[in-house]
Amino acid sequence: MTVAPERAAGRGTAPVPPPAQRLSWRDRLGRLDTKYTPYVIVAPFFVVFAIFGLYPLLYTAWVSLHDWQLIDGDQGFTGLANYAELLSDENFWNALGNTISLFLLSTVPQLFAALGLAALLDRGLRGRAFWRAGVLLPNVISVAAVALVFAQLFGRDFGIVNGVLGFVGIDPVDWRAETWASHLAISSMVVWRWTGYNALIYLAAMQSVPKDVYESAMLDGASRWRVFWSITVPSIRPTILFTVIVSTIGGMQLFVEPQLFDPGGTATGTGGDDRQFQTLVMYLYEKGFRLFDAGYSSAIAWVLFLVILVVAVVNFTLARRIASKG
Amino acid sequence: MSATRSKRSVKAGPFTYALLVVVLLASIFPLYYSFLIASKDNSALGDAMPSLVPGGNLVANLTRVFDTVDFWLAMQNSLVVAGTVAISNVVLGTLAGFAFARLRFRGGNSLFLVVVGTSMVPTQLGVIPLYMLMSDLDWYGTLQAVVVPALIGAFSVFWMRQACEESVPFELIEAARVDGCSVLRTFWHVAFPAVRPQAAVMGMFTFMTAWNDFFWPLIVLDPNDSPTVQVALSTLASGYYTDYSLMLSGASLAVLPVVGIFLLLARQIVGGIMQGAVKG
Amino acid sequence: MSRTLVGRTASITAVALTAALVAACGGGGGDAGDGKVKLSIGIFSDFGYTNLIKEYQASHPDIEIEQRTVKMEQHHTQLATQLAGGRGAADIVAIEEGNITQFRQSKDKFVNLADHGAKELAGQWAAWKWNQGTTDGGNFVLGLGTDMGSLALCYRRDLFEAAGLPTDREEVGKLWPTWEEYLEVADTFTRQTPNVKFVDTAQNVYKAILDQTEEGYFAKADDSFIGDRNDKVEQAFTLAASLGEKKQTGALAPFSQDWNVALKQASFATTTCPAWALALIKAGAGDAAAGKWDVAAAPGGGGNWGGSFLAVPKQGKHPQEAYELAKWLTAPEQQKRIFTETGNLPSEPAAYKDPAVTAAVNEYFNSAPVGRIFGDSAESLKPTYRGTKDAKVTPVFNNALSRVETGKQSTSDAFAQAVGEARDAAK
Repeated sequence: MTVAPERAAGRGTAPVPPPAQRLSWRDRLGRLDTKYTPYVIVAPFFVVFAIFGLYPLLYTAWVSLHDWQLIDGDQGFTGLANYAELLSDENFWNALGNTISLFLLSTVPQLFAALGLAALLDRGLRGRAFWRAGVLLPNVISVAAVALVFAQLFGRDFGIVNGVLGFVGIDPVDWRAETWASHLAISSMVVWRWTGYNALIYLAAMQSVPKDVYESAMLDGASRWRVFWSITVPSIRPTILFTVIVSTIGGMQLFVEPQLFDPGGTATGTGGDDRQFQTLVMYLYEKGFRLFDAGYSSAIAWVLFLVILVVAVVNFTLARRIASKG
Repeated sequence: MSATRSKRSVKAGPFTYALLVVVLLASIFPLYYSFLIASKDNSALGDAMPSLVPGGNLVANLTRVFDTVDFWLAMQNSLVVAGTVAISNVVLGTLAGFAFARLRFRGGNSLFLVVVGTSMVPTQLGVIPLYMLMSDLDWYGTLQAVVVPALIGAFSVFWMRQACEESVPFELIEAARVDGCSVLRTFWHVAFPAVRPQAAVMGMFTFMTAWNDFFWPLIVLDPNDSPTVQVALSTLASGYYTDYSLMLSGASLAVLPVVGIFLLLARQIVGGIMQGAVKG
Repeated sequence: MSRTLVGRTASITAVALTAALVAACGGGGGDAGDGKVKLSIGIFSDFGYTNLIKEYQASHPDIEIEQRTVKMEQHHTQLATQLAGGRGAADIVAIEEGNITQFRQSKDKFVNLADHGAKELAGQWAAWKWNQGTTDGGNFVLGLGTDMGSLALCYRRDLFEAAGLPTDREEVGKLWPTWEEYLEVADTFTRQTPNVKFVDTAQNVYKAILDQTEEGYFAKADDSFIGDRNDKVEQAFTLAASLGEKKQTGALAPFSQDWNVALKQASFATTTCPAWALALIKAGAGDAAAGKWDVAAAPGGGGNWGGSFLAVPKQGKHPQEAYELAKWLTAPEQQKRIFTETGNLPSEPAAYKDPAVTAAVNEYFNSAPVGRIFGDSAESLKPTYRGTKDAKVTPVFNNALSRVETGKQSTSDAFAQAVGEARDAAK
């Protein structure tokens, strides 16, 4: 990245105004343009975020320091009491564990599958656009509809998945009751929905890898497998890390899929009878909207934000370091 | 160019096609399944091994959808919401992405880190204060309550910054500046054409996200006066019991416009990703 | 040139923004321009109001009524958000019995209907129903009762016959005067037909038993949590859980899709059925099962499950008109009509003792005299006290029963865990 020149440019502009006479108004305008237009064109994002993102965020921070009931509002300042309670709350740690487990179960296979799929699509195919559009199709469907359908497919007594398992001699699985089974079922939804999307992003990156690199490798007689792992994958590493970050952020906020998978649905929102698939956002929702404890719910939200921040910053630093090498 | 590419690409064998067919079937099956349920009577769902042959109730179910909710109004509202959000994200996102990728300005890097950071804010977090804000603005039940917060998102900026880094060479920018082009003119004549394919893809993604969003619209929109498609769908589930055939009829219907737009533009959009990437 | 460029970009943005603003004009509520008072009524499921509203509008030409229907859980969540935000709630809102205790705490967000003369109406309702809708020792009238869910037990005749049990509804009712006897019937049934489950879920049995006690999780006197020392809770839990331990339940989430499938497959023989559940059973079991289900008296006498209230949030512009409409919709005449049209059981003696109601039969349920069965159940009903935090505690015990049914925990472990969690939830 070009950090140094930027700094230099930044320092240099302010103190030394060039002799006025030698600059036409056009030049001066150009200077103003160079200096301020960037701020003007990134401003809309920050304005929108400040009003509809930052303000609620800060407000939530304020709420989290109070005993705050959803409907009745402020019941008194309690300092960090909500946070202290959170740290000793088993349900919170349980939800954190589930979130991480679901995140790993859905992200890791998803990204590997996407990589493989991209490799397939990267070959000389007939009807390229058809295949590419086909794999992106799941991403078009609303997550609510996806959850409805998967809830049917994973039915305990007469779902198709159990039907197929029974066909090969496996006993029916109670997909909602067992921890691992529910995590698998929920992850499958995420994987189904996002694999094609990531595959296309990888594919785009793969196609921009210079061809001569491949050609020389092929001439050396390297196997297709080796070329893929030693040339293709390293070349698209920045893209892979980009998808890792995006999936991290999405995965840590997993909500609709498990919520609609719960037969109790939003009525209880506990994610199964033993909270076996309750994620952090589900717990936040349960506390805030079902139990009306807005203060505690806000504390969960902030902790969740910090968790995501830590995970993502680690990823991002990693991404930058590797990107600058690659 | 395509000649060199096909030379370098490994020719796909029957195994590749077989795998892709499997992937495609897996992509389509849940869609087909929802159509299947939509074509049946709700009580047919109780059959031990659900038949994979469509039933004859599709028209009846769709009629019920139209009788229950004002689907045309919902469709129109969704088009306005998703269309506005998509256009705005393309314009504002590309501008900001261009600035972060190719313009040098003090604090640019830190500002970009802030952008990335904002995408980590859990959306469910701010619902209550956001709702109160909307009440204060007198926006409850109006489409701008859904549109304005989504006019520009971190994802769009992030995505377009990547696109500009890949597809907009520094030399071209420099050349344009030496010619005395203003920043915006450089953007319009040099950067935007180069990233148009990626911008189109991003526009489609934001369109779909806005079209499918239901958490916030459900809270802030009035299901009778200003429903989006997803809000209208949720009222289909209002009965004592969940009528899956009714709900999935509605859901299939709601998906149609998006799939339609998608298939119509698939060639350009998906092909566009490649075109843009190859240039880089 | 550069100016036109700026202009072009700006105009695109402007078009986008204008589209948003123009679109906004489509929304917005308030009063119709023609001087009519516009009232909205927010309900869930089917209250049977569609025809009544048309009638009311015809007799009140200056009033226009809009009905908003969403899913039950969503309805209450939205209502809470709208009350918190101070805007957006309907002029009249329905609140379900299980949720009203939570909203009672926020009574200052609602109109005290006593200010509009609601106290005069008190005599219309069964006393317990009226009391559920009031607070402050009866001085604050939060909501007017709509329907109620007096309890019966539905059973499948063909499955009972196969197990050598009587099929006549009177005789079936005599098999189980108490829940202990109901469990004995379950044992007999399982011995005869081991492959069929006796009941759909332990959760509903538990709820039915607990709802027949005077106090559940909370003390009537001071609303304090007593779920950890009230023997009635543990008894009800143990009774229901024993069905789960013996694998006599289908371990189904009530009213879920799996529950529907099980109904269609006739894989369980009995289910607790409040009046409103008949429609669910019919929808799930389908036409093929017409006449196979029947309705008998529930063990342990009557009980109430469900039923709602109509309340008027303070943020509405027309409290007086809203009150008048709510009063009319909940009057005995209208409740009777709703029963005949949709089957929701009236909560007012004048309505549920009316010959038109008591004579009603339900053909699908082997022509069971549902009007009489539910009416009798309503008469013998001993309402249970619902604490302010009832809705927080209930799911904890349901989850515990589910853990017993799926074999994850023993009854005593599940109960111990539930009590601990409930204590936290009730804090």
